[in-house]
Amino acid sequence: MAYHISVFLENNPGKLEKITTVLAVNNINLRAMSLASSETFGVMKLLVDNPEKAYEVLKKNNIAVSKRQIIAVVVDNVCGSFNKLLITLASNKINIEDCYGFLLSDGKTAAIVLETEDYPNTEKFLSDKGFEVLNSEKIYNY
Amino acid sequence: MFWQKEIETQNKENLRKFQLECINKQIALARNSQFYKDKLANIDKLNSLEEVRKLPFTTKQDLRDSFPYGCLATDLKNVVRMHSSSGTTGNPTVIFHTKDDIANWANISARSMYMAGARNTDIFQNTMGYGLFSGGLGFHYGGERLGMLTIPIGPGNSKRQLWFMQHFKTTVVHILPSYALRLSGTIKELGIDVKKDLNLKIFFIGAEPHSEAMRKKIEELYDVKAFNSYGLSEISGPGIAFECPYQDGLHIWEDYVYPEIVDSKTFEPLPDGQEGELVLTTLQRQAMPLMRYRTKDLTKIISEPCKCGRTHRRIARITARTDDMMIINGVNIFPIQIEKTILSVPEAGKNYIIELFDNNCMDKLRVKIEINNETFKGTLKDLEILQNKLVNELKQELDVTPVVQFVESGSLPVTEGKAKRVIDLRTKK
Repeated sequence: MAYHISVFLENNPGKLEKITTVLAVNNINLRAMSLASSETFGVMKLLVDNPEKAYEVLKKNNIAVSKRQIIAVVVDNVCGSFNKLLITLASNKINIEDCYGFLLSDGKTAAIVLETEDYPNTEKFLSDKGFEVLNSEKIYNY
Repeated sequence: MFWQKEIETQNKENLRKFQLECINKQIALARNSQFYKDKLANIDKLNSLEEVRKLPFTTKQDLRDSFPYGCLATDLKNVVRMHSSSGTTGNPTVIFHTKDDIANWANISARSMYMAGARNTDIFQNTMGYGLFSGGLGFHYGGERLGMLTIPIGPGNSKRQLWFMQHFKTTVVHILPSYALRLSGTIKELGIDVKKDLNLKIFFIGAEPHSEAMRKKIEELYDVKAFNSYGLSEISGPGIAFECPYQDGLHIWEDYVYPEIVDSKTFEPLPDGQEGELVLTTLQRQAMPLMRYRTKDLTKIISEPCKCGRTHRRIARITARTDDMMIINGVNIFPIQIEKTILSVPEAGKNYIIELFDNNCMDKLRVKIEINNETFKGTLKDLEILQNKLVNELKQELDVTPVVQFVESGSLPVTEGKAKRVIDLRTKK
């Protein structure tokens, strides 16, 4: 199972930097991220190379942090590939709670990171439909 | 000029004699209540007003502790009305009235309004809240008693307020000073000319502290005379003290209450002219007479004769309070109510601060609460659910809708005294 970490943030200058400083000091590499904010506060999802360690060091710094399960699906770096993934998910009524993507190092493919409600079924369903689901080692380092 | 000339201009000697008689009657009556039965057991008839200091003080906490009927001094069959403070965390304070109490309260309210210049030909728009809050119903009954056409419109809905003012040619308005400022914004927005389009003459402003500068501003904005009104529901409500046309202190109706000023630390009575806590003993209440009720309001008594000819002494504009009560758009709130509500929601953090600020002339309450690291689930949705829950719980408790804001844990100062958790950023004070 793979995870990204989620942190609480105040919507003020310097608050995000506080988080990234903790990560930098602890040699944690940031691979991708997404930010959702309400009026005065928000939540940031961080995909890092070592989520266990990131979770521990952030917690130690009195930052509200939580680990959340994800799956990462490989799509080709071409027009319509993400759309195809979404159509497939929708056809099976799988709801996406959160989603962001990043280009993989080969430059020809991208990983789409998904939070859904039902991981085992989503994973199996996508594999059956011919999508490559990355294992955690690949998500963190590939 | 006078609603009840004989009473309002009664000479000092007769007034003091009347007060002493009333206090002795109130003592006898109060003994019927659970609360005063023992407290007044050793008090004989008072022989002079100097002996009032023998009477025990009564506090808001006493009223809470004797919830619900402990202070009631008469049979329930005689009781026709109650008013109450907001909140359910501690016991609310509940105030009972007999028919006579309502009539006497209406009379001093009418007297107050008449003194300010209101007459039975006036059209009176009462924008104060009706219901458990005593501000609305108190002056409603006073307005009717005076004979004004009384419009029980209640608070809010600025466009409708102005529509009523235009169509019924309202001349007299009872309003929170903060709401008066806000309503003037709508007047500008709608392009209403207060001199040409409205017939306003007199404003009664009260239920929240305001400065002389704020009164002047309201008078200019509406082209009216604005009169400062003082009251508290524990005694009855608005109309206990009120300004005359000279607008230099508020005549406290000394046939209705016996006022004292006491040192806010030693509780020793202070002479007229010195500032301290206002303490009131009721003189006419039938359902719930109160002995030396500590209002927690800081003021002084002005005993110099007033140009208007009334002999009832005046109190100065209230400068502050001795406790941590906050007044938000006329609603009285104690920080402990907020604390108890936050602590009753386990997913919320425990450290918080309360900020009062003004937005478009109205008071706003903002509660900043530290995020609870232990229960943080990591989604914005969960935070928003928690935020809504806190807003709703606080609204139920306070009768005021707060802004709830989450902040990082450890970011708020850890304070010991509760008062330090309150930051008043309002500019009009």
